[in-house]
Amino acid sequence: MRAPGTVAAGETLLAVENVSLRFGGVKAITDVSFDIRKGEIRAIIGPNGAGKTSMLNCINGFYYPQEGRITFKGETRRRMRPYVAASQGIARTFQNVALFKGMSTLDNIMAGRTLKMNRGFFWQLLRYGPAMAEEIEHRKVVEEIIDFLQIEHIRKVPVGKLPYGLQKRVELARALAMEPELLLLDEPMAGMNLEEKEDMCRFILDVNQQYGTTIALIEHDMGVVMDLSDRVVVLEYGRKIADGTPEAVKRDQRVIDAYLGVAH
Amino acid sequence: MSPVRGAVADTFPKLLMHHARARGDRPAMRHKDLGIWQSWTWAEVAEAVRAYAVGLSRLGLKRGEAIAIVGANRPRLYWTVMAAQMLGAIPVPVYADAVADELAFVLSHAEVRFAAVQDQEQVDKLLSIAERLPKLEHMVYDEPRGLRDYDHTRLHAIEEVIAEGREALRTASVDTWLDGEIAAGSGDDISIILYTSGTTGRSKGVMLTARGCIEAAADTVAFDHLTDRDEVLAYLPLAWVGDHYLNYAQGLVAGFCTACPESADTAQSDLREIGPTFYFAPPRVFESLLTRVMIRMEDAGALKRRMFHYFIGVARRYGEKILNGESVPVSGRLLYALGNVLVYGPLKNVLGFSKIRVAYTAGEAIGPELFSFYRSLGLNLKQLYGQTEAFLYVTAQPDGQIRADTVGPATPNVEIRIAENGEVLFRSPGQFAGYFKEPEKTAEAMTEDGFVKTGDAGFFEPKSGHLKIIDRAKDVGRLANGALFPPKYVENKLKFYPNIKEAVAFGDGRDYVTCFINIDITAVGNWAERNNVVYASYQELAAIPAVYDMIAAHVDEVNRSLAAEPGMAGAQIRRFLILPKELDADDGELTRTQKVRRGFISERYQPLIDGLYDGSQEASIAVEVTFEDGRKGNISGTVAIRDAKIHPASAEIAA
Repeated sequence: MRAPGTVAAGETLLAVENVSLRFGGVKAITDVSFDIRKGEIRAIIGPNGAGKTSMLNCINGFYYPQEGRITFKGETRRRMRPYVAASQGIARTFQNVALFKGMSTLDNIMAGRTLKMNRGFFWQLLRYGPAMAEEIEHRKVVEEIIDFLQIEHIRKVPVGKLPYGLQKRVELARALAMEPELLLLDEPMAGMNLEEKEDMCRFILDVNQQYGTTIALIEHDMGVVMDLSDRVVVLEYGRKIADGTPEAVKRDQRVIDAYLGVAH
Repeated sequence: MSPVRGAVADTFPKLLMHHARARGDRPAMRHKDLGIWQSWTWAEVAEAVRAYAVGLSRLGLKRGEAIAIVGANRPRLYWTVMAAQMLGAIPVPVYADAVADELAFVLSHAEVRFAAVQDQEQVDKLLSIAERLPKLEHMVYDEPRGLRDYDHTRLHAIEEVIAEGREALRTASVDTWLDGEIAAGSGDDISIILYTSGTTGRSKGVMLTARGCIEAAADTVAFDHLTDRDEVLAYLPLAWVGDHYLNYAQGLVAGFCTACPESADTAQSDLREIGPTFYFAPPRVFESLLTRVMIRMEDAGALKRRMFHYFIGVARRYGEKILNGESVPVSGRLLYALGNVLVYGPLKNVLGFSKIRVAYTAGEAIGPELFSFYRSLGLNLKQLYGQTEAFLYVTAQPDGQIRADTVGPATPNVEIRIAENGEVLFRSPGQFAGYFKEPEKTAEAMTEDGFVKTGDAGFFEPKSGHLKIIDRAKDVGRLANGALFPPKYVENKLKFYPNIKEAVAFGDGRDYVTCFINIDITAVGNWAERNNVVYASYQELAAIPAVYDMIAAHVDEVNRSLAAEPGMAGAQIRRFLILPKELDADDGELTRTQKVRRGFISERYQPLIDGLYDGSQEASIAVEVTFEDGRKGNISGTVAIRDAKIHPASAEIAA
């Protein structure tokens, strides 16, 4: 299903080197470096305002860091636009759900296939011949994702009418529809109850195992992070303070200080 | 092979092979997968099931052994039943939502060596109880998702088992061997073991013979004129006798098509897409559908709402009469026809009832209002009465003799007798061969001359000859003053109100009748929304005084109607309360078929019952609850108790 990747499992898929990002005088990220290996689940954690979402925004080209380099699949860049990132195989979900509220679940997920459509606008308008054949192909992929995430029952329901937990799932479905190589999840479990969280964990693990998708996620629930991720990078005030396995990070004194506060 | 009445063969695999020959290209099964209805013809099903049977036998499944089936209504799980029966093995379907404990009991009691499960969830559940099931050797699964990295030495995909069997069937000797296995099956073999839902304690394995199943199914296929052109949606739990009877047995006897929904959540929209011709649902499904329709109408525009209520009124006046073939004035017929175009037709279409020829409901009493609502729309809804031990049917209402308060006369070839104590006894072609490994229980359930005791109290209505069920025979009690107290009868009257979801009445041996009530969160929640009443949980909503007022009004109406019935005035509800939590099967308060377990509830909520009888105005309670993921927590709170008005027994005064 996936185009042959150029990066083998376990090798570096994405490298962030000495990246700094400023908004005027405010330093959002200062000199951060880390890498994401193919096939792993990488968590980015840190207290509020640590620069986690900014980091994701840099990776998928939403922000341009003033300094540093980001290398994806061996290709280094300084400036990149989100749609280029998307076409290279980076998909993401947002902290605040960003779906088309008036459209059905199905249409929202189909929107994730846009970049994969070869036929032009007019062919699609006609919905005839090759455009139709292509749409059927895409619909098949989308239906597999619907089945995978168990959202058959809301296929035709406008997204705006769905409860939050399901909207999050639809957003994940749309990101998966891009068949991404790297999936960026910005707080996929925020605002969910325990059961929804457990479901989401299972889906993230399944995505990782079944499709082999590399995942970078931001999450506040430490239990989730420790269970899911292979490696964790910790940010505080825009700087990297720790990087390693969940166990190592959990024992790191600087991380404990950052989370629990420290007497000065 | 001794002849079987009403059908062409004496086992289900023989019937399957017959359909493959007689109507090989007619659809036998459908399943919605990837958003599209996939269909299999009888020939295709027969081919797949043969291959599956060979595959299972290569894994080691032998004649007489049991194979558990855990999952939702999926074609491959139905094929498991057929394939097992082909080999002479005994399928044992288990409720898919059973918790691990219940599952362990049934699987170890049935001594299963094999299990066919739907997906990873069920595989995990079985693995978690593996040490209690030393005999379990192989598991086959339908859906591979998430199972890739599992140890596959004892785990197999059904797909692969079928593929292996298909490969083996290329050898002519295997093909002949399988034909021999099918022919070796006899109508007197145990065809399936269905575990009862445990309304009356631990579940028992009801053994049914192939001949009994087929003869009973043939009787009702003829009774309702079912043919191979019919179609059903199989959404009832596989482990329930109703599904095995209505869909599997009737389907294989009549040769009609069985459609499996995409998932449990989509059953309603799948119903609409399939448009079945034969439909069964317990009263609560009809009830929740009606509640939903009414809620949607409350939110509709004024014009639509008026049109709806006007034509529903027309339907109430003429609909049932037209359905029963009684005389109706021409103007009534015209109005009804107009209503059909504007309201009934579209409504039935939305509900997926457009093509239904015969619909049944059973399991508990249905509200007369509810019953006649559907019938007035032109839906041929009827009632039946039966139980697992009878292979479902004991009585059913024939077309044209429909009543809301009876369950109809005995079905063809069924004998019914009322015992001295009012208990209903029956003897039928489909009746069970005994409880698995419990001959003493079997003996208990039978009379000396071979009738089965239903445990239900009832009587034949002299006028119509229909059977009327009052309650479980052992539940019918008496108050301290000797007045009759049938708890279910009282509860059902309460449950006919959309705001009341569940009711539990007490009074046996007491001075007066009291009641626990569960409000219906959909109906009452909608009322709260419309009236700007704020609540965060069921517990909070249940405690609001305005909700109490509403329920008190319903209780009063019930008392009024009880007072008007001869002999029932004493059963009026003196005091009631609204429970702070919804009764739930996970907490053991309901059975898996959603029936109230009165004894368990009265122990669990003892402080509340004490409060009801000691005259206090409130009572406190703390109970343990089980969440869906199996963790436990506590709910505690203080519950208000209300007094209800007692009406004078008008029937007796009049007499």
